[in-house]
Amino acid sequence: MNVEDVFSSRLRMKILKILFNVRELNVSEIARSLKINYISATKHLKILEDEGILQHKMFGRIRLYRVNEQSPKTKALQNLIDTWEHQNEK
Amino acid sequence: MSQGRSVFRDETKLDINYVPRRLPHREHELGLLREFLGFALQSPGRMAQRVMITGDVGTGKTVLSQRFGVDIGHEASTRGINLRYVHVNCREYGGSLFLILQHVVSVFHPNFPKRGYSAEELLPTLMQILDEENAYIILSLDEFESLVEREGSEAVYKLTRLQETRQNKPQRLSLMCILRNLDTVKKLDASTRSTLQSNIISLNRYAKQQLVDILNDRVSLAFEPLGVPEGTVALIAELAFSESGNARFGIELLWRAGKYADAEDFDTVTPECVREAVSSIFPVMRRGDLATLGLHEKLFLLAIARIFKENQVACVSLSEAEQTYTVVCEEFDASPISHTQLWKYLKNFSNLGIVETQVSGTGGRGRSTTISLPRIPAHELEKELRSFFEKRLEKS
Repeated sequence: MNVEDVFSSRLRMKILKILFNVRELNVSEIARSLKINYISATKHLKILEDEGILQHKMFGRIRLYRVNEQSPKTKALQNLIDTWEHQNEK
Repeated sequence: MSQGRSVFRDETKLDINYVPRRLPHREHELGLLREFLGFALQSPGRMAQRVMITGDVGTGKTVLSQRFGVDIGHEASTRGINLRYVHVNCREYGGSLFLILQHVVSVFHPNFPKRGYSAEELLPTLMQILDEENAYIILSLDEFESLVEREGSEAVYKLTRLQETRQNKPQRLSLMCILRNLDTVKKLDASTRSTLQSNIISLNRYAKQQLVDILNDRVSLAFEPLGVPEGTVALIAELAFSESGNARFGIELLWRAGKYADAEDFDTVTPECVREAVSSIFPVMRRGDLATLGLHEKLFLLAIARIFKENQVACVSLSEAEQTYTVVCEEFDASPISHTQLWKYLKNFSNLGIVETQVSGTGGRGRSTTISLPRIPAHELEKELRSFFEKRLEKS
């Protein structure tokens, strides 16, 4: 997926901001905090996972998503979001 | 405190959650815990253990396990072993195995969801997490009674036999069950009981001198030098001893007494501060008890109250009390009664919980009785009795 396609979604950016903040979360909680349905959250999470930005782990029926700290894309994104938020605070 | 001065140096050292470096009179038990659970450092994963710690309230069960937990966690990290000590008060979680396990899982995954699965699913989840992180846990189940009452044998059995379903895998979960006595364990079925009752550490009630040592330790950590006189510590130890040797009660009383000292802008924590503090914990003096006392009982008690009010002492002798009683009798125009009768009155005061007495000196020259006024502030007792005599004078 092209960079413009990944960043074209407000929801995906919000998911990233949440996960950068709390490290890991299950699908239901992500959906709840964004006020979207489970299927929609899963779709966006899958896109980010396919890009290697996120990864998930299963615990029984629970699927926990977290940022993939090994990925250079993740590091770049974290840097971008931190800089952006920091500048806005000023 | 009005001037910003305080008798305290660091009052957090008296907090119920503070874990001191030194545990006076529990060194042996700490050594036993190291013996029972030392394998977690020497050969982690090769075995798991279950230890039970029993003892009355305030005998140091919780602090003992927490001290051990801090020490072994620190030692493990210096050896590169991922060993976590997790302390859970079962009562705080309503004795629910589900909530207790959820707490343990949250140590590793703080945002683990709170619903959508059962307790049965949580046990394998916990083991999966431990396997993935190559971690070991010593799970301390404080107020274990609560878990047994709510969940019965089944839950305890699951916890203790967890490893049997994990053949050829490292043993990662050891248990420390903390409870008052073994009566609760008797409620469990035989097979569960047998898995638990191998390593038992019983904590005896603290003796009076042991309480003095514990309190002195905390005084040196929490108060300014010379902030708490010896007599005050002795009085608190006496009270804690009468509360079944409850050290926690004694430490709490020490803190409260310090607060009263600060409120009064005192340089030191006086015995009267302790009495003020204890009256805020115990039920307030029962006026009904005073009303039932006879005239000379009231006069004698007034004499005792005055001694404690005017002198910052923790205890007085019966003969001192008798001398003051004679003066009080003169004041109220009454003839003093005999020593034997006063001694009987004193026994009655003691039975009513107004004073405490101690007989000392069993040597050749007979015994002497000392009196302490641990629970009631002397000025309140004096005020109460004085108002009785004032009313009596008004009537006549």
